[in-house]
Order: sequence, then C-alpha cells, then structure tokens
Amino acid sequence: MISFEHIILKVQQHTLFNDAMLRMAKGDKVVVRGPSGCGKSSLLKSAVGALPLGGGSIVIDGMELTSATVAGIRSRIAFIGQEPVLGADNVHDALMLPFGFKTHKGNRPSDARIYKTLEQLHLSRDILIKPCKQISGGEKQRIAVARALLLDKNIFLVDEVTSALDPQSREAVMSELFQPGITLLSVSHDPEWINACDRIVEIRDRQLVEVRHDH
Amino acid sequence: MTIDLSIASLFWMYALMLVPLAVFFYLQLGIIRDTLFALIRMTAQLFLVGFYLKYVFQLNNPLISLLWVAIMLVVANLSILNKAGLRRGVFFWRLLAGVSGSTLFAGGWFILVAIRPDPIYDARYMVPIIGMILGNCLRSNVLSLERFYSGIRKNETEFMTYLMLGANLREAVRPYLRDAIKAAVNPSVATMATMGIVSLPGMMTGQILGGALPMEAIKYQIGIMICIFTSMVLAAIVNIQLSLSVAFDDQQRLKQDILL
Repeated sequence: MISFEHIILKVQQHTLFNDAMLRMAKGDKVVVRGPSGCGKSSLLKSAVGALPLGGGSIVIDGMELTSATVAGIRSRIAFIGQEPVLGADNVHDALMLPFGFKTHKGNRPSDARIYKTLEQLHLSRDILIKPCKQISGGEKQRIAVARALLLDKNIFLVDEVTSALDPQSREAVMSELFQPGITLLSVSHDPEWINACDRIVEIRDRQLVEVRHDH
Repeated sequence: MTIDLSIASLFWMYALMLVPLAVFFYLQLGIIRDTLFALIRMTAQLFLVGFYLKYVFQLNNPLISLLWVAIMLVVANLSILNKAGLRRGVFFWRLLAGVSGSTLFAGGWFILVAIRPDPIYDARYMVPIIGMILGNCLRSNVLSLERFYSGIRKNETEFMTYLMLGANLREAVRPYLRDAIKAAVNPSVATMATMGIVSLPGMMTGQILGGALPMEAIKYQIGIMICIFTSMVLAAIVNIQLSLSVAFDDQQRLKQDILL
C-alpha cells in the first residue's frame, strides 16, 4: 500500500534518510519514532511529494510517485500535520474547501453526513459557524480529520494528531483512524497511540528500523 | 505655450536641492552621496531623453518610435525582476511578454480607440502614453510578484494543504494570487479616490502648463488613469500566470533557486 524503497532524503544539505526502506500493507497502522529533528515529519511529507527525493522511490497504492501520478496520490491521501491548516474563514467553509476544487466537485457531502462526522469526533454542530481563528488547536485537529473523512480517504499520514486532544476526543479520533480499512502512517509520542499501532518503526542512523511488528 | 526655463533658472532649481541635502547632513543620514548620484543620473538621463525624443518626434517614424517603446519595456522589465527579487534567467521572457502585453493593450486602447491621432502612430502620443503607463505600473508589478511568491514561501504548509485536498496548481495558488492583486491595486484605488482634491496629477499639470485648457487636460487624465489601472491588473495576473510553469517543478513544489 505504501512503500519507501531505498529512499535518500536530504533537507537543507542535511541527509535525513540514506537507502531507507519501509513497506506497509493495506490496513497497517505504523508509528514512526525518533529524536526530534531526525526526519519523522519529513518522511511523511516526502510521501506526498512535498519534499523531493535524492534517490529511491515511493510507491503508494501501486503507483510510483512521479510528476504524472502525484496529483492522483495526493487526492487519495489525508495528510494532517501538528497544526493543521484549515484554509478558510469559518469551520463550515474549511470543511467544504476541497469540494470547491475540480477533483471533488459534485461529491459535496450532505448536511446529515457532516453532522454525523462531527458527532463521531465529539464536535458540536455549533462549531460550523465559528471563525477558524477562534477554535482551539484540538478542535482544529479534529476538523482536519473530519475533512479527510468527508473526502472518503483511506490512507492517512498524521503527525502528532492527538497532541492537543483531551482523552475523550483522542479516543474518538483513534476509533475513526484505527478502522481496519484505513492505512495509517503516523508520528506520535502519545503512549496510547503507540500501543494501538501494530508496527513501530524507529529512525536510526538514517534508516527505518522496525522495532515491533504485531502481525 | 510654457515659459522656457533658462539655464540660469535651472541652476536655481538645483539650488533648491540644498534644502534636503542640508537635512540629510544635519541628521547624518548617510545618503548624501546616493542622492547626488541619483540627481546626476536623473539629469543625464533626462537630457539624453529630451535630445532623443526631439528627433523621435521630428522623424515621426513608426519603427523608431516602436524601437524606443521596446527599449522602455526591456528596461522596465529588468527593473521589475531586480526589485521583485526574481532571477532574470528564469523569468525574463515571460515577464517581458506580460508587461509588454498589458502595457501595449491599455496604451493601444487609449491611442487607437479614444485619441485616434493622425497619423495613428504619431510619436507625440505613442511614446509618452506608453511611457506613463509603464512608469506608473512599475511599483504594482514589483509588488504583485513579490507578494505572490513570498506569500507561497511563507505559507508553504498551507499551500501544500490545498494540493493535498485535491487542488491543482492554479487552484492552490489562487489565494496568493488574490492577495497579490489586491496589494498591487489597493494604492491606486486610494489615489483615484482622492485625485483632483488631494493631488493634481502629473499629466494634467503638464498639459495645463503646456497651455491646454483644464477641461481638455482632465479628460486625458481620466483616460490615462483608467489605462494605468487596467494595465496594472492585467500585468499582475498575466505575469503571475505566465511565471507559474517555470517557478514550480513538476510536482508543484516552488523551486528554491528562482528567487535572488
């Protein structure tokens, strides 16, 4: 489902990965660990073509990441960073933002589906009219997750997505993202999140080293 | 006709420069040398232009006038690239096309549709009108390009988020395009709104000094302002659109080596 094949990744003259490998099957839940600055977030970014590779290849859903496939790959993946960008003035517009783009035009979700998705993530309907500037970091993270769920994405790349959440909200987010049909590549320091993942990968000497595999 | 300024009168105008220079000296601003250099450059350039334009107007040859317009466009383009911090090698031809297209469209409209001089290529109209549009659009051209690329660079995560949500390159750059165009035209909207009350614009003043009736002069001023404004908006959007294919790589990442 997601394969990093012998990747070389350099960011500002600094080599983060050298000949690193990671192969994930459909439905795998992987968490990447390592000291700060070792390249965890960069690894996620490289999978969506946000950072150019110095060598090797990335294959997602059977497609190698190239200029010809990058748009298709991006439209399949949900990428949620530590401080998600909502990109609109209010929450409703932020949720609807992708449906204004050509790729998703015509797939606009019904109000009922929006309300249900919000409910699943412990968010009230009232949040829809709130300005994005006024909502908390935890709410932003959940809105970004809600947006990805509304787009029916099944590959999630998430970076510390529970960092600003209270236990109930974290549980709600985890119950959505740890569904069997979802392939999850994550960065987290949250022990519960790490426990819930079936594979733990550490970054050591610019390599991806598997330290736990529950299959 | 205007009262001609004698060399002696011009000398007294230069004498007026002692006032700002004295202020710079008093405040130790360290810009006296640069100011004097700029003053000398301005004098030399204007004398050369005056000398050259005298012949351009006398000959009234469309090719020579167009050559002069082409030189103005190239020099303006180089200045825009430099001030916006964009690499010449990457953007030169694209921006030249954008700047020339928008300036010639607006200037051509004024000359061909409104003034209709005889002959239509009359240098006395073509050269100053194109020059005024170009000169007045310089700042907005720089501002729009600078704002656009710095906007994307500063908000890279946001830009990437749009791509991740399914936007194509043109959709993903749209918020930055909007900001850039607003930044480029806002000062001109304010200028238009106060024109005639707060300031008497240059072209109108020049024509009045040249002996034109005020009602004639304001019509030209209205015409030129609309041309300048149209050219500003057109140049901002065309320059940015034309620059997209060289500024981003094949995976829609902003190239790192395009900015100075």
